[in-house]
This record gives sequence, C-alpha cells and structure tokens, in this order.
Amino acid sequence: MMFGTVLATEFLKLRRSKVTWGTLAAFSIAPLAIALFMWIVREPGRAAQMGLLGTKANLAGLEATWPSYLSMLTLVVGFMGMILLAFVVAYLFGREYTELTAKNMLALPVGRHWFVTAKLVVAAVWWLVLVAAVLIEAFAVGSLLDLPGFSMALAMGAIGNALLSAGMSYLLVPIVAWIATLGRGYMPPLAFALFALALGNVFGKTGWAVWFPWSIIPLMIGAVGQPQTLPVGSYVVAALTFVVGVTATIAQVRWADTAQ
Amino acid sequence: MSAETAIATRSLSKRYRDVRAVDGLDLDVRRGEIYGFLGRNGAGKTTTIRMLLGLIRPTGGEVEVLGRRIVPGETGVFGHVGYLVETATAYPNLTVRENLDIQRRLTRAPKSAVAETIALLRLDEYADRRAGQLSLGNKQRLALARALLHSPELLVLDEPANSLDPAGIVEIRDLLRALAAERGVTVFMSSYILAEVAHLADRIGIVHEGRLLEECSRAELAARARSFTAEALTEQERADALLTMDLERYFLWRTGGGE
Repeated sequence: MMFGTVLATEFLKLRRSKVTWGTLAAFSIAPLAIALFMWIVREPGRAAQMGLLGTKANLAGLEATWPSYLSMLTLVVGFMGMILLAFVVAYLFGREYTELTAKNMLALPVGRHWFVTAKLVVAAVWWLVLVAAVLIEAFAVGSLLDLPGFSMALAMGAIGNALLSAGMSYLLVPIVAWIATLGRGYMPPLAFALFALALGNVFGKTGWAVWFPWSIIPLMIGAVGQPQTLPVGSYVVAALTFVVGVTATIAQVRWADTAQ
Repeated sequence: MSAETAIATRSLSKRYRDVRAVDGLDLDVRRGEIYGFLGRNGAGKTTTIRMLLGLIRPTGGEVEVLGRRIVPGETGVFGHVGYLVETATAYPNLTVRENLDIQRRLTRAPKSAVAETIALLRLDEYADRRAGQLSLGNKQRLALARALLHSPELLVLDEPANSLDPAGIVEIRDLLRALAAERGVTVFMSSYILAEVAHLADRIGIVHEGRLLEECSRAELAARARSFTAEALTEQERADALLTMDLERYFLWRTGGGE
C-alpha cells in the first residue's frame, strides 16, 4: 500500500518535466542517424553531391540492408542506452539534492527504502518506454527506407537483442543511483557513467572483459569487436552489480546525513 | 522523559571534524507550548533541528520526539510532525496544489486537506502556479503549508518568517499562536530575530556555539531585556530601537497587515 503511494508520487514528480521529453528526443535521433547512414551507403553519389559522408560509409563496408540496419540499431541502443539510462537515474535521484527536496522526503512516515525502490521502478518504466518507442520508430523508418532482407525472425532477433542489452544496462544503473545520493546531485553520477563507459570499452579488449560489468554490454553488442555470446558468469556479475547498487543506495539514503 | 514532553534531548552533540556544531544540548519542550530557539547564525539551530528530524546523526547524546527515540530512518513519529528546515523548497515543475498533493499522499492526510491548507496560508491565487515561479515569500508559505497539511501535533520550524514581508510575519505569527491555543499544537521554532521569538514564544532557549546559554519564559526574557536596555544602551540606541518599532507598525498599518 505504502509502496504504491510512493510510486504514484514519484510519477507525479515527473509532470511537466522537460527531461522526460528530452530523453525521448535524444534517443529517437538514433534510428534517424542510422537511417541516414543507410541512405548514404545506398546512394553514395547523391550523398557525395550533398557533402555527406559517402566515402567513409563505403569504407566501413556496410550494406544498406535490414540485417545491417538492425545490427547498428542494437549497437546504438546498447551504447547510447548506457549513457541515457544513467542520465535518467542521475536525474531521478540527483534532483532531490539539487532542488533541495531530499530533506522534505526523508522525515516522513514512509520508509526511506521505498523512495529508492520507487525511483528505480520509475527508471525501469521510463527506460522501457524509451526502448519501445525507439524500436517502433526504427521499424517505421526502416520500412520507409524500403531496405531489402527483412524477415520476421530477423526482426524478433533484433528486438530480443535490444531488450537484452537494455535489461543489462538497467542492471548497472543502481550504482549510478548510489553515486547520485553519495555525491548529492547530477554531476557525480554522470561523470561516473561516462568514466565507466570509457573503462568498459578499454576493458572490453582484455581477457577480463566478460567479468567487468561495464564491458559486458560492449562485448554483447559488438562495440569492441564481433558480438559475443556471454558466459553465464557475466550475467551473474551484472545481477550482483544490481544487488550491490540497490543495497548501497538504500543504505546511503537510510543512514547518511542529509545536511541541506 | 515525561509524557508531557514533546521534544527532549540529552547531551545532544554534533561534530564536523574539529567544529562542534552542537555541544551537549539538553532541551525539554513541553506539549502545547511554543518554544523559541534563539541564536545567531551558526549557533547550531539548524543542526539541532536536523537531528530532531533524523536527517543527520548525532555524534553524541540522544533525541526523543513525541516519546519516540529518533534515529536516522525513523518513520513512525513523522506522521505527527510537520517541519520546515532552512530553505523553503518544492518541486519547481509542479504547481502549489500538486506539491501539496504529494505531501498529502505521503502523510495519508485526507484529500480535503490540500484545499484547506491552501486557504489557510492564503495561497488560493497561486494554487495552480508552478512552485518554481513563486516569489520567495510564497515559497515560504508553500513550505509552511507542507508542514501544516497533515494537522501535526508538533511543528518544527526553522526560521519560519524567512522571506516573509512584515504583514506575512504577523499573519504567520497569528496562525501559529492559534494552532497552539486552539489545537494544542506544540511549536518548536528557531530564529535569529529576537522580536520574532519574543512576540510568539512561551519559553525561549538561547543557543550559542552549540550550547544552551539560558532558558526562560517570555516574561523573564522581556524583563532581562528591559533591564539590559536601561543599563547598557545609550539614549540614541534606545531611540533607534523605538523608531524601528514605530516604523514597522506604520508599515503594517499602511499595507493593511496591522492589528
């Protein structure tokens, strides 16, 4: 009952927030950018005349086909998602400190852990809506491009891969939430997310990549070589990262001083 | 600590590295009284209030509020406590009504409480305005509305008159006095303005460098202040003080906020 109330208030807090629309706008650029790339590959002459990246696109050895389009989409959803989802979580948790409202929230007849849980549920719903919107947009844009090589199996595989990488991204964000509560604002979690992303790509080229949480998604989507099938241990590492992040965030909100 | 006590602290202390923000504070605030917690900036008023609310952990001593020991994360007692800590804040993207609706849901207050509190704090005109677009004074009213919304037994108010104009100060003073007299609400309010506390409080505690220097009734404080004024102030200083009071009364009369 109390959790339902807290969850409802967390959704209420998003009313008229520009950040929700901003994230949707930022994420919806991805299919358009990939579509532009596909068009350049398919129409290199016209693209060159327009001063677009025709030569580079041809050098990349890409084909303007559905398999190529969807593999790029998975890459972008996975890569951009790691940043965008971190941004969403940094906003949900960091705003309470930046707007000085944490103190209003933490001396109420409500267990503080409910706020953490509710914010993580809001982040999950927000993220799911973003991913669903981008997938719908991607299929609509791909259809308009009239790319060859479409099959239902290919579409389902792409949706599965995108959802899997989106889910893996979600498992990593409670650490971002913890840093937002620890650093009391937006900047520390965003700096951490960028640092983790860079570190993940560096580690992705090493033998330890499958065990390093922020390398798992780059490995999975092929951002650091060919996409790999991950060992079960990688999923366990991601799940443990989630548990550690949630526990640390609840502990921070429950016991740390709120001097604002 | 007796059942008649709304707030009790014993040897309450908070240290930040080498700084003793609060140093062995013993307080007893009786139920139904208005207690003025008076001190200069940096005296330890806000730190004490944060410890009363479990927002920060004491480095020593203990706190009881309405008979419950306070530890960070304590929730049980806060359904009966309304508070305002330092800066008045609200979600800037939400309207006054929406901000109060969030508070209402989290404190399980009845739906009618939002409209009633908006009327009580004279926020009707601004009810559908975003909190981020309010003046400082109206933000303060919204913060007070948040504190009062669920009809708490105890109000913990950190500088409640901040950002209010003289008419607003008189209005809030009357409101707090009425809450204490008619509903038996205990009010613990901090301020660095003696006049604000002297007009309202039944008892006054003066805090300095984290320690309680003295505690007395309003009448005792007034007598001590009169004696001090007679002995220590020059003729000119006394005239200046009277002029300030006259100007304040004239301003209230001209702006319709006077009694």
